[in-house]
Amino acid sequence: MIRRAVLVVLGLVWLGPTYLLLVNASRPASSYDPGSAWIPSGDFALFDNFAQALEGADLSQSLASTALYSVVSPLLGVVIGALAGYVIVVLRLRGGFWWFLLIFGGTVFPSQMLLVPLFVGYSDAGLYDSRLGLILVYTAINVPLAAFVLRNFYSGVAFSIFEAARMDGASTWRIFWRIYLPISFTALTAVFILEFTFIWNDLIFGLTLSQTEEVRPVMTAIAGLMTDVYAGTPVPVGLAAGLVVSLPTVVLFLATQRLFARGLSLGSVQ
Amino acid sequence: MRNTAPMFGRFRYGYVAPAVLLVAGLLYAPFVWTAYLSLTRYDGLEPPAFVGLANFAKLFQDEALLTSTRNTLIWVIGTMVLPVGLGLLVAVLSYDIKGGAWYRVPFMLPYALSGAGLAMVWSPILSHDGIANLLLGVDTAFLQDAPANTFAMLAVWTWQQLGVNTLLFVVGLQSIPKEPIEAARLDGAAGWRLFRHVIWPLMRPLTAVVVGLALVAGLKTFDIVWVLTQGGPGRNSETLAVTMYKETFVASDYGYGSAVAVMLTVVTGLASYLYLKRQVTAT
Repeated sequence: MIRRAVLVVLGLVWLGPTYLLLVNASRPASSYDPGSAWIPSGDFALFDNFAQALEGADLSQSLASTALYSVVSPLLGVVIGALAGYVIVVLRLRGGFWWFLLIFGGTVFPSQMLLVPLFVGYSDAGLYDSRLGLILVYTAINVPLAAFVLRNFYSGVAFSIFEAARMDGASTWRIFWRIYLPISFTALTAVFILEFTFIWNDLIFGLTLSQTEEVRPVMTAIAGLMTDVYAGTPVPVGLAAGLVVSLPTVVLFLATQRLFARGLSLGSVQ
Repeated sequence: MRNTAPMFGRFRYGYVAPAVLLVAGLLYAPFVWTAYLSLTRYDGLEPPAFVGLANFAKLFQDEALLTSTRNTLIWVIGTMVLPVGLGLLVAVLSYDIKGGAWYRVPFMLPYALSGAGLAMVWSPILSHDGIANLLLGVDTAFLQDAPANTFAMLAVWTWQQLGVNTLLFVVGLQSIPKEPIEAARLDGAAGWRLFRHVIWPLMRPLTAVVVGLALVAGLKTFDIVWVLTQGGPGRNSETLAVTMYKETFVASDYGYGSAVAVMLTVVTGLASYLYLKRQVTAT
Protein backbone atom coordinates (compact mmCIF):
# COMPACT_ATOMS: atom_id res chain seq x y z
CA MET A 1 0.00 0.00 0.00
CA ILE A 2 2.82 2.37 0.93
CA ARG A 3 4.52 1.42 -2.32
CA ARG A 4 1.51 2.48 -4.36
CA ALA A 5 1.12 5.68 -2.38
CA VAL A 6 4.74 6.68 -2.98
CA LEU A 7 4.40 5.86 -6.68
CA VAL A 8 1.22 7.88 -7.03
CA VAL A 9 2.62 10.94 -5.24
CA LEU A 10 5.85 10.86 -7.22
CA GLY A 11 3.88 10.22 -10.40
CA LEU A 12 1.69 13.27 -9.80
CA VAL A 13 4.76 15.43 -9.29
CA TRP A 14 6.09 14.12 -12.61
CA LEU A 15 2.78 14.63 -14.39
CA GLY A 16 2.55 18.28 -13.33
CA PRO A 17 5.00 19.71 -15.87
CA THR A 18 3.75 17.28 -18.53
CA TYR A 19 0.24 18.61 -17.98
CA LEU A 20 1.39 22.24 -18.12
CA LEU A 21 3.24 21.50 -21.34
CA LEU A 22 0.27 19.87 -23.06
CA VAL A 23 -2.28 22.45 -21.90
CA ASN A 24 -0.19 25.44 -22.86
CA ALA A 25 1.11 24.05 -26.12
CA SER A 26 -2.53 23.64 -27.20
CA ARG A 27 -3.53 27.14 -26.06
CA PRO A 28 -4.04 29.88 -28.66
CA ALA A 29 -0.77 31.78 -28.85
CA SER A 30 -2.26 35.09 -27.81
CA SER A 31 -4.09 33.88 -24.71
CA TYR A 32 -1.10 32.72 -22.67
CA ASP A 33 -0.97 34.02 -19.13
CA PRO A 34 1.45 32.43 -16.67
CA GLY A 35 -0.92 33.09 -13.78
CA SER A 36 -3.63 30.82 -15.17
CA ALA A 37 -1.36 28.46 -17.04
CA TRP A 38 -2.86 25.43 -15.32
CA ILE A 39 -6.37 26.08 -16.64
CA PRO A 40 -7.06 24.48 -20.03
CA SER A 41 -8.18 27.02 -22.59
CA GLY A 42 -10.84 24.88 -24.19
CA ASP A 43 -9.40 25.52 -27.63
CA PHE A 44 -7.03 23.18 -29.38
CA ALA A 45 -4.43 25.28 -31.12
CA LEU A 46 -1.45 22.93 -31.03
CA PHE A 47 -1.20 22.69 -34.80
CA ASP A 48 -1.77 26.40 -35.30
CA ASN A 49 1.03 27.07 -32.85
CA PHE A 50 3.31 24.70 -34.61
CA ALA A 51 2.43 26.19 -37.97
CA GLN A 52 3.34 29.56 -36.52
CA ALA A 53 6.70 28.22 -35.35
CA LEU A 54 7.30 26.77 -38.81
CA GLU A 55 6.69 30.13 -40.42
CA GLY A 56 8.01 32.53 -37.84
CA ALA A 57 11.26 30.79 -37.10
CA ASP A 58 11.52 29.10 -40.48
CA LEU A 59 11.63 25.74 -38.78
CA SER A 60 10.43 23.97 -41.90
CA GLN A 61 13.78 24.29 -43.64
CA SER A 62 15.60 23.15 -40.51
CA LEU A 63 13.25 20.20 -40.22
CA ALA A 64 13.90 19.19 -43.80
CA SER A 65 17.67 19.48 -43.31
CA THR A 66 17.60 17.50 -40.09
CA ALA A 67 15.51 14.80 -41.72
CA LEU A 68 18.11 14.62 -44.48
CA TYR A 69 21.03 14.41 -42.02
CA SER A 70 19.42 11.88 -39.72
CA VAL A 71 18.54 9.53 -42.58
CA VAL A 72 21.51 9.88 -44.93
CA SER A 73 24.32 9.90 -42.37
CA PRO A 74 23.24 6.78 -40.49
CA LEU A 75 22.62 4.99 -43.80
CA LEU A 76 26.12 5.82 -45.00
CA GLY A 77 27.46 5.09 -41.53
CA VAL A 78 26.00 1.60 -41.26
CA VAL A 79 27.04 0.60 -44.78
CA ILE A 80 30.58 1.90 -44.29
CA GLY A 81 30.76 0.29 -40.85
CA ALA A 82 29.37 -2.97 -42.24
CA LEU A 83 31.96 -2.93 -45.04
CA ALA A 84 34.71 -2.55 -42.47
CA GLY A 85 33.25 -5.34 -40.32
CA TYR A 86 32.95 -7.55 -43.40
CA VAL A 87 36.50 -7.08 -44.58
CA ILE A 88 37.88 -7.54 -41.07
CA VAL A 89 35.90 -10.62 -40.09
CA VAL A 90 34.96 -12.36 -43.32
CA LEU A 91 37.76 -11.40 -45.68
CA ARG A 92 40.22 -11.68 -42.78
CA LEU A 93 42.09 -8.50 -43.46
CA ARG A 94 45.67 -8.74 -42.24
CA GLY A 95 45.98 -6.91 -38.91
CA GLY A 96 42.19 -6.74 -38.93
CA PHE A 97 41.92 -6.35 -35.18
CA TRP A 98 44.13 -3.26 -35.25
CA TRP A 99 42.11 -1.73 -38.04
CA PHE A 100 39.03 -2.40 -35.97
CA LEU A 101 40.61 -0.83 -32.91
CA LEU A 102 41.56 2.20 -34.96
CA ILE A 103 37.99 2.65 -36.19
CA PHE A 104 36.32 1.90 -32.88
CA GLY A 105 38.75 4.23 -31.10
CA GLY A 106 36.83 7.06 -32.76
CA THR A 107 34.12 6.77 -30.11
CA VAL A 108 36.29 8.04 -27.28
CA PHE A 109 36.73 11.63 -28.45
CA PRO A 110 34.41 14.10 -26.74
CA SER A 111 32.84 16.43 -29.29
CA GLN A 112 34.55 19.40 -27.62
CA MET A 113 37.87 18.08 -28.90
CA LEU A 114 36.62 18.19 -32.47
CA LEU A 115 34.88 21.54 -32.68
CA VAL A 116 37.71 24.00 -33.26
CA PRO A 117 39.55 22.09 -36.00
CA LEU A 118 36.26 21.19 -37.69
CA PHE A 119 35.17 24.81 -37.65
CA VAL A 120 38.49 26.13 -38.95
CA GLY A 121 39.00 23.26 -41.38
CA TYR A 122 35.46 23.48 -42.71
CA SER A 123 35.82 27.23 -43.20
CA ASP A 124 39.00 26.70 -45.24
CA ALA A 125 37.53 23.85 -47.25
CA GLY A 126 34.29 25.66 -47.99
CA LEU A 127 32.31 23.08 -46.03
CA TYR A 128 31.21 25.48 -43.30
CA ASP A 129 27.46 26.00 -43.33
CA SER A 130 26.94 23.32 -45.96
CA ARG A 131 24.75 20.25 -45.80
CA LEU A 132 27.58 18.12 -47.14
CA GLY A 133 29.80 19.20 -44.25
CA LEU A 134 27.27 18.19 -41.64
CA ILE A 135 26.52 14.88 -43.38
CA LEU A 136 30.25 14.11 -43.40
CA VAL A 137 30.82 14.76 -39.74
CA TYR A 138 27.65 12.97 -38.64
CA THR A 139 28.62 9.97 -40.78
CA ALA A 140 32.11 9.86 -39.29
CA ILE A 141 30.67 9.88 -35.78
CA ASN A 142 28.36 7.00 -36.70
CA VAL A 143 30.96 4.72 -38.24
CA PRO A 144 32.67 3.40 -35.06
CA LEU A 145 29.46 2.08 -33.48
CA ALA A 146 28.32 0.55 -36.77
CA ALA A 147 31.69 -1.16 -37.23
CA PHE A 148 31.55 -2.45 -33.66
CA VAL A 149 28.07 -3.96 -33.89
CA LEU A 150 28.53 -5.35 -37.39
CA ARG A 151 31.93 -6.86 -36.61
CA ASN A 152 30.30 -8.71 -33.72
CA PHE A 153 27.42 -9.75 -35.91
CA TYR A 154 29.58 -11.10 -38.74
CA SER A 155 31.71 -13.03 -36.23
CA GLY A 156 28.60 -15.07 -35.49
CA VAL A 157 27.84 -15.86 -39.15
CA ALA A 158 29.01 -19.26 -40.41
CA PHE A 159 31.98 -18.86 -42.73
CA SER A 160 30.67 -21.66 -44.94
CA ILE A 161 28.14 -19.18 -46.34
CA PHE A 162 30.99 -17.16 -47.75
CA GLU A 163 32.80 -20.20 -49.06
CA ALA A 164 29.67 -21.50 -50.77
CA ALA A 165 29.13 -18.17 -52.48
CA ARG A 166 32.73 -18.10 -53.62
CA MET A 167 32.30 -21.59 -55.09
CA ASP A 168 29.39 -20.29 -57.08
CA GLY A 169 31.69 -17.64 -58.48
CA ALA A 170 30.32 -14.55 -56.73
CA SER A 171 32.78 -11.71 -56.22
CA THR A 172 33.50 -10.56 -52.66
CA TRP A 173 31.85 -7.25 -53.46
CA ARG A 174 28.70 -9.00 -54.64
CA ILE A 175 28.69 -11.33 -51.63
CA PHE A 176 28.72 -8.30 -49.36
CA TRP A 177 25.76 -6.58 -51.03
CA ARG A 178 23.72 -9.68 -51.77
CA ILE A 179 24.34 -11.80 -48.68
CA TYR A 180 26.07 -10.12 -45.77
CA LEU A 181 24.30 -6.79 -45.86
CA PRO A 182 20.79 -8.31 -46.09
CA ILE A 183 21.34 -10.88 -43.32
CA SER A 184 22.46 -8.18 -40.92
CA PHE A 185 19.31 -6.15 -41.50
CA THR A 186 18.10 -6.16 -37.88
CA ALA A 187 21.51 -5.23 -36.50
CA LEU A 188 21.78 -2.47 -39.09
CA THR A 189 18.35 -1.19 -38.13
CA ALA A 190 19.21 -1.06 -34.42
CA VAL A 191 22.33 0.96 -35.15
CA PHE A 192 20.41 3.14 -37.58
CA ILE A 193 17.82 4.03 -34.92
CA LEU A 194 20.44 4.92 -32.32
CA GLU A 195 22.28 7.09 -34.79
CA PHE A 196 19.12 8.67 -36.15
CA THR A 197 18.22 9.71 -32.61
CA PHE A 198 21.69 11.05 -31.93
CA ILE A 199 21.71 13.20 -35.04
CA TRP A 200 18.13 14.36 -34.67
CA ASN A 201 18.92 15.62 -31.17
CA ASP A 202 22.32 17.07 -31.95
CA LEU A 203 22.81 20.66 -30.90
CA ILE A 204 26.54 21.31 -30.74
CA PHE A 205 27.66 20.39 -34.25
CA GLY A 206 24.78 22.33 -35.74
CA LEU A 207 25.68 25.27 -33.54
CA THR A 208 29.34 25.18 -34.57
CA LEU A 209 29.21 24.24 -38.22
CA SER A 210 26.14 25.95 -39.60
CA GLN A 211 24.57 29.34 -39.72
CA THR A 212 21.83 29.74 -42.29
CA GLU A 213 18.29 28.50 -41.89
CA GLU A 214 18.60 26.07 -44.82
CA VAL A 215 21.52 24.20 -43.26
CA ARG A 216 20.93 24.57 -39.53
CA PRO A 217 19.56 21.41 -37.89
CA VAL A 218 16.29 21.67 -36.04
CA MET A 219 17.52 21.43 -32.44
CA THR A 220 19.93 24.25 -33.11
CA ALA A 221 17.12 26.23 -34.67
CA ILE A 222 14.93 25.55 -31.64
CA ALA A 223 17.71 26.66 -29.33
CA GLY A 224 17.94 29.82 -31.41
CA LEU A 225 14.23 30.35 -30.99
CA MET A 226 14.90 30.52 -27.26
CA THR A 227 18.21 32.29 -27.10
CA ASP A 228 18.10 34.79 -29.97
CA VAL A 229 14.53 35.86 -30.28
CA TYR A 230 13.06 34.50 -27.08
CA ALA A 231 11.23 37.72 -26.36
CA GLY A 232 9.46 37.47 -29.69
CA THR A 233 8.30 33.87 -29.45
CA PRO A 234 4.94 33.38 -27.69
CA VAL A 235 5.20 30.64 -25.07
CA PRO A 236 2.56 28.34 -26.62
CA VAL A 237 4.38 28.51 -29.96
CA GLY A 238 7.67 27.60 -28.32
CA LEU A 239 6.07 24.73 -26.40
CA ALA A 240 4.37 23.36 -29.50
CA ALA A 241 7.65 23.53 -31.37
CA GLY A 242 9.51 21.72 -28.57
CA LEU A 243 6.83 19.05 -28.51
CA VAL A 244 6.54 18.44 -32.21
CA VAL A 245 10.26 18.30 -32.96
CA SER A 246 10.58 15.60 -30.31
CA LEU A 247 7.96 13.41 -31.97
CA PRO A 248 9.94 11.79 -34.83
CA THR A 249 12.36 10.01 -32.50
CA VAL A 250 9.49 8.75 -30.35
CA VAL A 251 7.51 7.51 -33.33
CA LEU A 252 10.55 5.81 -34.85
CA PHE A 253 11.41 4.17 -31.57
CA LEU A 254 7.88 2.93 -30.86
CA ALA A 255 7.47 1.67 -34.41
CA THR A 256 10.66 -0.34 -34.31
CA GLN A 257 10.84 -1.38 -30.65
CA ARG A 258 10.84 -5.13 -31.31
CA LEU A 259 13.26 -4.97 -34.19
CA PHE A 260 15.47 -2.71 -32.11
CA ALA A 261 15.70 -5.07 -29.14
CA ARG A 262 16.27 -8.04 -31.43
CA GLY A 263 18.93 -6.23 -33.44
CA LEU A 264 20.94 -5.21 -30.41
CA SER A 265 20.87 -8.66 -28.88
CA LEU A 266 21.93 -10.15 -32.20
CA GLY A 267 24.71 -7.63 -32.31
CA SER A 268 26.06 -8.78 -28.98
CA VAL A 269 26.02 -12.47 -29.80
CA GLN A 270 29.55 -13.62 -30.40
CA MET B 1 41.42 -20.43 -46.56
CA ARG B 2 44.89 -18.99 -47.00
CA ASN B 3 45.14 -20.20 -50.58
CA THR B 4 42.14 -18.17 -51.70
CA ALA B 5 43.53 -14.98 -50.21
CA PRO B 6 45.38 -13.73 -53.29
CA MET B 7 42.19 -13.87 -55.34
CA PHE B 8 40.79 -10.93 -53.52
CA GLY B 9 44.11 -9.53 -52.44
CA ARG B 10 44.88 -5.87 -52.29
CA PHE B 11 41.52 -4.37 -52.92
CA ARG B 12 40.49 -5.50 -49.45
CA TYR B 13 41.90 -2.27 -48.16
CA GLY B 14 39.36 -0.51 -50.28
CA TYR B 15 36.61 -2.00 -48.10
CA VAL B 16 38.04 -0.62 -44.90
CA ALA B 17 39.24 2.65 -46.44
CA PRO B 18 35.99 4.69 -46.19
CA ALA B 19 35.67 3.92 -42.47
CA VAL B 20 39.33 4.63 -41.76
CA LEU B 21 39.40 7.82 -43.83
CA LEU B 22 36.28 9.25 -42.21
CA VAL B 23 37.37 8.37 -38.69
CA ALA B 24 40.96 9.50 -39.21
CA GLY B 25 40.06 12.68 -41.05
CA LEU B 26 37.11 13.89 -39.01
CA LEU B 27 37.79 12.43 -35.55
CA TYR B 28 41.48 11.63 -35.04
CA ALA B 29 42.95 14.57 -36.93
CA PRO B 30 40.78 17.19 -35.20
CA PHE B 31 41.55 15.55 -31.86
CA VAL B 32 45.30 15.84 -32.40
CA TRP B 33 44.92 19.35 -33.80
CA THR B 34 42.95 20.48 -30.73
CA ALA B 35 45.64 19.02 -28.49
CA TYR B 36 48.22 21.05 -30.40
CA LEU B 37 46.11 24.22 -30.42
CA SER B 38 45.84 24.03 -26.64
CA LEU B 39 49.54 24.91 -26.60
CA THR B 40 49.10 27.97 -28.80
CA ARG B 41 47.62 31.41 -28.86
CA TYR B 42 45.16 31.40 -31.71
CA ASP B 43 42.23 33.57 -32.72
CA GLY B 44 41.36 31.84 -35.98
CA LEU B 45 42.79 34.68 -38.09
CA GLU B 46 46.51 34.87 -37.37
CA PRO B 47 48.35 31.55 -37.52
CA PRO B 48 48.61 29.79 -34.13
CA ALA B 49 51.57 30.95 -32.03
CA PHE B 50 53.18 28.37 -29.76
CA VAL B 51 52.99 29.44 -26.11
CA GLY B 52 53.78 26.21 -24.28
CA LEU B 53 51.65 25.53 -21.25
CA ALA B 54 50.48 29.13 -20.81
CA ASN B 55 46.84 28.23 -21.50
CA PHE B 56 46.94 25.53 -18.88
CA ALA B 57 48.55 27.86 -16.37
CA LYS B 58 45.69 30.27 -17.04
CA LEU B 59 43.17 27.48 -16.34
CA PHE B 60 44.23 27.42 -12.72
CA GLN B 61 43.87 31.17 -12.22
CA ASP B 62 40.62 31.61 -14.09
CA GLU B 63 37.73 32.24 -11.76
CA ALA B 64 35.13 31.48 -14.43
CA LEU B 65 36.74 28.09 -14.83
CA LEU B 66 36.54 27.48 -11.11
CA THR B 67 32.80 28.18 -11.29
CA SER B 68 32.29 25.91 -14.25
CA THR B 69 34.31 23.16 -12.58
CA ARG B 70 32.09 23.45 -9.51
CA ASN B 71 28.95 23.38 -11.66
CA THR B 72 30.23 20.40 -13.61
CA LEU B 73 30.89 18.61 -10.34
CA ILE B 74 27.30 19.31 -9.25
CA TRP B 75 26.10 17.94 -12.58
CA VAL B 76 28.22 14.81 -12.28
CA ILE B 77 27.23 13.96 -8.73
CA GLY B 78 23.67 15.08 -9.33
CA THR B 79 23.16 12.92 -12.43
CA MET B 80 24.78 9.95 -10.74
CA VAL B 81 22.52 10.27 -7.69
CA LEU B 82 19.14 11.73 -8.68
CA PRO B 83 17.94 10.18 -11.96
CA VAL B 84 19.66 6.91 -11.12
CA GLY B 85 18.60 6.73 -7.46
CA LEU B 86 15.01 7.78 -8.07
CA GLY B 87 14.88 5.55 -11.13
CA LEU B 88 15.92 2.60 -9.02
CA LEU B 89 13.35 3.56 -6.37
CA VAL B 90 10.49 3.71 -8.86
CA ALA B 91 11.62 0.44 -10.46
CA VAL B 92 11.84 -1.41 -7.16
CA LEU B 93 8.47 -0.08 -6.01
CA SER B 94 6.67 -0.93 -9.22
CA TYR B 95 8.31 -3.94 -10.86
CA ASP B 96 6.33 -6.72 -9.19
CA ILE B 97 3.00 -5.08 -8.34
CA LYS B 98 -0.14 -5.50 -10.36
CA GLY B 99 -0.45 -2.78 -13.01
CA GLY B 100 3.11 -1.67 -12.33
CA ALA B 101 3.55 -0.50 -15.90
CA TRP B 102 0.69 1.97 -15.46
CA TYR B 103 2.32 3.48 -12.40
CA ARG B 104 5.41 4.08 -14.52
CA VAL B 105 3.65 5.96 -17.33
CA PRO B 106 4.05 9.43 -15.74
CA PHE B 107 7.80 8.91 -15.61
CA MET B 108 8.07 7.69 -19.18
CA LEU B 109 6.24 10.62 -20.79
CA PRO B 110 8.99 13.24 -20.28
CA TYR B 111 11.50 10.99 -22.00
CA ALA B 112 9.70 11.67 -25.25
CA LEU B 113 11.05 15.21 -25.19
CA SER B 114 14.49 15.50 -26.55
CA GLY B 115 17.45 17.80 -26.50
CA ALA B 116 16.61 21.43 -26.93
CA GLY B 117 12.90 20.60 -26.88
CA LEU B 118 13.21 19.80 -23.19
CA ALA B 119 14.72 23.15 -22.31
CA MET B 120 12.20 24.90 -24.53
CA VAL B 121 9.43 23.42 -22.45
CA TRP B 122 10.89 24.35 -19.08
CA SER B 123 11.92 27.88 -19.87
CA PRO B 124 8.45 29.42 -19.37
CA ILE B 125 8.01 27.41 -16.19
CA LEU B 126 11.27 28.52 -14.60
CA SER B 127 11.53 32.06 -15.94
CA HIS B 128 11.18 34.98 -13.58
CA ASP B 129 7.54 35.73 -14.35
CA GLY B 130 7.03 32.05 -15.04
CA ILE B 131 4.50 29.44 -14.07
CA ALA B 132 6.45 27.90 -11.19
CA ASN B 133 6.68 31.14 -9.28
CA LEU B 134 3.01 31.96 -9.76
CA LEU B 135 1.81 28.47 -8.96
CA LEU B 136 3.92 28.10 -5.86
CA GLY B 137 3.16 31.66 -4.80
CA VAL B 138 6.85 32.45 -4.44
CA ASP B 139 9.23 34.82 -6.14
CA THR B 140 12.31 32.75 -6.76
CA ALA B 141 14.74 33.46 -9.54
CA PHE B 142 15.23 29.80 -10.41
CA LEU B 143 17.73 30.43 -13.16
CA GLN B 144 19.39 33.47 -11.60
CA ASP B 145 21.62 32.76 -8.63
CA ALA B 146 24.42 30.21 -8.53
CA PRO B 147 24.52 27.42 -7.63
CA ALA B 148 20.71 27.31 -7.29
CA ASN B 149 20.28 27.65 -11.07
CA THR B 150 22.38 24.55 -11.64
CA PHE B 151 20.21 22.63 -9.19
CA ALA B 152 17.07 23.87 -10.96
CA MET B 153 18.40 22.57 -14.28
CA LEU B 154 19.41 19.35 -12.59
CA ALA B 155 15.80 18.95 -11.45
CA VAL B 156 14.67 19.38 -15.07
CA TRP B 157 17.20 16.80 -16.17
CA THR B 158 16.02 14.39 -13.48
CA TRP B 159 12.44 14.90 -14.60
CA GLN B 160 13.41 13.87 -18.11
CA GLN B 161 15.93 11.08 -17.39
CA LEU B 162 14.14 9.21 -14.60
CA GLY B 163 11.98 7.20 -16.98
CA VAL B 164 14.73 5.62 -19.01
CA ASN B 165 16.65 4.65 -15.87
CA THR B 166 13.48 3.17 -14.38
CA LEU B 167 13.00 1.14 -17.53
CA LEU B 168 16.55 -0.22 -17.41
CA PHE B 169 16.15 -1.18 -13.76
CA VAL B 170 12.76 -2.81 -14.33
CA VAL B 171 14.24 -4.96 -17.08
CA GLY B 172 17.09 -5.82 -14.72
CA LEU B 173 14.78 -6.62 -11.82
CA GLN B 174 12.57 -8.80 -13.96
CA SER B 175 15.52 -10.79 -15.21
CA ILE B 176 17.17 -11.53 -11.86
CA PRO B 177 16.69 -15.11 -10.67
CA LYS B 178 13.53 -15.64 -8.61
CA GLU B 179 14.94 -18.35 -6.32
CA PRO B 180 17.13 -16.26 -4.00
CA ILE B 181 14.26 -13.80 -3.49
CA GLU B 182 11.75 -16.55 -2.78
CA ALA B 183 14.19 -18.20 -0.39
CA ALA B 184 14.80 -14.93 1.45
CA ARG B 185 11.04 -14.30 1.66
CA LEU B 186 10.55 -17.73 3.22
CA ASP B 187 13.23 -16.83 5.74
CA GLY B 188 11.15 -13.80 6.66
CA ALA B 189 13.00 -11.06 4.80
CA ALA B 190 10.84 -8.27 3.44
CA GLY B 191 10.88 -4.60 2.51
CA TRP B 192 14.14 -2.81 3.06
CA ARG B 193 16.01 -5.88 4.34
CA LEU B 194 15.02 -7.91 1.31
CA PHE B 195 16.14 -5.10 -0.96
CA ARG B 196 19.39 -4.38 0.86
CA HIS B 197 20.64 -7.94 1.22
CA VAL B 198 19.14 -9.81 -1.72
CA ILE B 199 17.94 -7.57 -4.53
CA TRP B 200 20.63 -4.90 -4.37
CA PRO B 201 23.60 -7.29 -4.67
CA LEU B 202 21.96 -8.88 -7.70
CA MET B 203 21.35 -5.44 -9.26
CA ARG B 204 24.84 -4.13 -8.66
CA PRO B 205 26.35 -4.89 -12.10
CA LEU B 206 23.49 -3.14 -13.91
CA THR B 207 23.62 -0.19 -11.51
CA ALA B 208 27.34 0.12 -12.17
CA VAL B 209 26.68 0.50 -15.90
CA VAL B 210 23.88 3.02 -15.42
CA VAL B 211 25.94 5.10 -12.98
CA GLY B 212 28.94 4.93 -15.30
CA LEU B 213 26.88 6.27 -18.21
CA ALA B 214 25.55 9.05 -15.97
CA LEU B 215 29.10 9.93 -14.94
CA VAL B 216 30.23 10.51 -18.51
CA ALA B 217 26.99 12.27 -19.49
CA GLY B 218 27.24 14.54 -16.44
CA LEU B 219 30.79 15.57 -17.29
CA LYS B 220 29.75 16.56 -20.81
CA THR B 221 26.59 18.49 -19.86
CA PHE B 222 26.00 21.11 -22.51
CA ASP B 223 22.64 21.18 -24.30
CA ILE B 224 20.29 21.89 -21.41
CA VAL B 225 22.50 24.62 -19.95
CA TRP B 226 23.06 26.21 -23.32
CA VAL B 227 19.38 26.46 -24.09
CA LEU B 228 18.11 27.43 -20.63
CA THR B 229 20.75 29.92 -19.47
CA GLN B 230 23.60 29.97 -22.01
CA GLY B 231 25.81 29.58 -18.97
CA GLY B 232 24.56 32.81 -17.42
CA PRO B 233 23.62 35.11 -15.91
CA GLY B 234 27.15 36.32 -16.34
CA ARG B 235 28.98 33.05 -16.37
CA ASN B 236 27.63 31.52 -13.19
CA SER B 237 25.89 28.42 -14.57
CA GLU B 238 28.54 27.42 -17.10
CA THR B 239 29.72 23.84 -17.23
CA LEU B 240 33.12 22.91 -18.65
CA ALA B 241 31.58 22.07 -22.01
CA VAL B 242 29.80 25.44 -22.09
CA THR B 243 32.98 27.28 -21.06
CA MET B 244 34.85 25.54 -23.85
CA TYR B 245 32.25 26.63 -26.38
CA LYS B 246 32.09 30.22 -25.13
CA GLU B 247 35.86 30.74 -24.88
CA THR B 248 36.23 29.44 -28.41
CA PHE B 249 33.30 30.71 -30.38
CA VAL B 250 32.18 33.74 -28.37
CA ALA B 251 35.53 35.06 -27.14
CA SER B 252 37.46 33.73 -30.19
CA ASP B 253 40.19 32.44 -27.91
CA TYR B 254 40.71 29.17 -29.75
CA GLY B 255 43.87 28.26 -27.88
CA TYR B 256 42.34 28.63 -24.45
CA GLY B 257 39.10 26.95 -25.55
CA SER B 258 41.18 24.01 -26.76
CA ALA B 259 42.93 23.86 -23.39
CA VAL B 260 39.52 23.61 -21.69
CA ALA B 261 38.58 20.83 -24.13
CA VAL B 262 41.79 18.98 -23.32
CA MET B 263 41.14 19.36 -19.62
CA LEU B 264 37.59 18.06 -20.03
CA THR B 265 38.90 15.08 -21.99
CA VAL B 266 41.56 14.27 -19.42
CA VAL B 267 39.07 14.55 -16.56
CA THR B 268 36.54 12.35 -18.41
CA GLY B 269 39.18 9.77 -19.22
CA LEU B 270 40.55 9.74 -15.70
CA ALA B 271 37.13 9.56 -14.07
CA SER B 272 36.04 6.71 -16.37
CA TYR B 273 39.29 4.86 -15.70
CA LEU B 274 39.04 5.20 -11.92
CA TYR B 275 35.38 4.28 -11.98
CA LEU B 276 35.94 1.18 -14.11
CA LYS B 277 38.89 0.15 -11.99
CA ARG B 278 36.82 0.45 -8.83
CA GLN B 279 34.02 -1.56 -10.37
CA VAL B 280 36.41 -4.30 -11.43
CA THR B 281 38.11 -4.55 -8.06
CA ALA B 282 34.80 -4.37 -6.19
CA THR B 283 33.33 -7.39 -7.93
